[in-house]
Amino acid sequence: MKILIVEDEPSLRELMQKTLEKERYIVEIASTYGQALQKIEDYSYDCILLDIMLPDGSGLDLLDQFKASGKEGNVIIISARDSIEDKVSGLDLGADDYLAKPFHLAELSARIKSVMRRSRGSGENVIRLGNVTVSPDKFQVSVNDAEVPLLRKEYDILYYFILRPGHLVDKSVLAEAVWGDHIDQADNFDFIYAQMKNLRKKLRDAGADIEIKSVYGFGYKLVVTE
Amino acid sequence: MKLIYQIILRVSVALVVLLTAWAAFFYFALQTEINDEVDDALDNYSDMIIMQVLAGEKTLSSGDGSNNSYQIREVTREYAESRSAISYTDAKIYIPQLQDTEPARILKTIFPNDEGTYFELTVATPSFEKEDLRRAILNWIVVLYFSLLLIIIGINAWAFYRSMRPLYTLLHWLDDYTVGGENIPLKNDTKISEFKKLNDAAIRYAGRAEQLFDQQKQFIGNASHEIQTPLAVCQNRLEWLTDNTELTEEQLVEVLKTRQTIDYIVRLNKSLLFLSKIDNGQFTDNVPVDVNELLEKQLALYKDIYGYRNIKVEVQERSRLTVRMNESLATALVTNLLKNAYVHNVDNGYIRIEIDASQIIFCNSAVAGALDGERIFDRFYQGSKKKGSTGLGLAIVKAIGNHYGIAVAYRYFEGEHRFILSWEKVLD
Repeated sequence: MKILIVEDEPSLRELMQKTLEKERYIVEIASTYGQALQKIEDYSYDCILLDIMLPDGSGLDLLDQFKASGKEGNVIIISARDSIEDKVSGLDLGADDYLAKPFHLAELSARIKSVMRRSRGSGENVIRLGNVTVSPDKFQVSVNDAEVPLLRKEYDILYYFILRPGHLVDKSVLAEAVWGDHIDQADNFDFIYAQMKNLRKKLRDAGADIEIKSVYGFGYKLVVTE
Repeated sequence: MKLIYQIILRVSVALVVLLTAWAAFFYFALQTEINDEVDDALDNYSDMIIMQVLAGEKTLSSGDGSNNSYQIREVTREYAESRSAISYTDAKIYIPQLQDTEPARILKTIFPNDEGTYFELTVATPSFEKEDLRRAILNWIVVLYFSLLLIIIGINAWAFYRSMRPLYTLLHWLDDYTVGGENIPLKNDTKISEFKKLNDAAIRYAGRAEQLFDQQKQFIGNASHEIQTPLAVCQNRLEWLTDNTELTEEQLVEVLKTRQTIDYIVRLNKSLLFLSKIDNGQFTDNVPVDVNELLEKQLALYKDIYGYRNIKVEVQERSRLTVRMNESLATALVTNLLKNAYVHNVDNGYIRIEIDASQIIFCNSAVAGALDGERIFDRFYQGSKKKGSTGLGLAIVKAIGNHYGIAVAYRYFEGEHRFILSWEKVLD
């Protein structure tokens, strides 16, 4: 899997590169419009992470050129401008997703996985981790091919974690992801704990070899148990 | 107090003082003048009597029709020398012709005859009634005062309003002026240089305020944007640290706490950007929003989150409320008020939401007394600091209200906070 990062901020670029390389992607970088254009013309990538505001041009123009070239590949727009117009014009031009800065690295890799999975076609749209399979289209979870019935929120939590294995997810971040953007002042996360307890029990009873571990009361981490 | 009332009050007070002083002066001047005349007449009269007495002629009887009277008595030399030669006094005397006591002017003089015997002559002539004079003067002064006052006020008011018209036009314009809003240009023609200057100053400062307002808006927007990337870097470096290195529990806890603080800054930044977008009118695509349905959806989420606080929620739906709004703004409006009702509530308290055809009211049991209704909608105003709260929720509500012309009000009633959103003006 080859990924091109087009981002002018060196520190952020380095971090994105480090993270994605750790997840065994082949990562190339470009810091300017010119560089990026050259790479896009010369090589092909499975996924391009595209910053809109580049020192010598707009990422949207780059996207336009890329689509016009007829090459295959997913594009995720990364922008500091969390504006609807940018989002709409980006998606209209053929971008697969839009990620607003600042974002969590776990979020970035989850989005990459998600767009790549979607573009692989309808054949096998499932996520596998250990002996657990999640089918996002059908909202189904199975362990060793036996379906595990989950409630809505339990499913949402599992889906969120299975796209971010090994990442420590803060409780407030999880709450925002599963319960919505406006849950930003909760001072008590018992509601997560209750759901988590049920989900863990269901996974354990079904014999899953993945586990959502609690980390010092701050958050959770999905790990594969051997 | 209006300027014209102030002027009238001052003119009235000044007139009272002036006219009183003038009345006193007038009274004494008149009295002196009258006494002078009377004393002259008495002098002549006494001279005549003295001459007659000295000449041994028969003196005039007092019945000469002039109401004058006199009497002569012999006095000792010592008495004569102890008295001044002539003295004038006011007294009341009985006048037989009128059979009444009347105020009179009395002249007393002492004269010797050829044999060296001293006589005292007392001559009296009825004079004017001082009390009457005083009353007459007072009456006329009062009449004069009020007529003068009326005329002065009339002239003042006329002159005031005629010459101050440009001032009132300007004041009216300033009243209607809102910085950052749609304002009509000032139309205030005048030849008076002071007003011209005032007009120029008002226009100049309004322009300056407008410019500052735009700059500030832009600055907040730009600053928030520029902060996004460094924030992303900080957040991601810490994330990298927690995910990819072996940290001790102590280290991990510190890193996680820092991450939470950065998350808070991110939220704050997002809220500020959101506010500046609302103020800039960047939310345009309005669709009909079913407020009842929106509320129901959000309530389900909040019941999950705040379930542990055991807060009773009651929704009184008297009608369906459908408004034309941008969907994300409608959601922000409802969630911010809902969140507010939960966060600033007591455990085991209640929330009551009343919806009718043109308004929605969020009521909740209060932790303490009334909030400062003037300031709760200000950015970063927090009556009591809540952990994780940005202090921007109600400012966002207000900004959305302003954007759509929704009246947003706060009331406190018997231990209950009430936030009222009214679409009355919009729906009319």
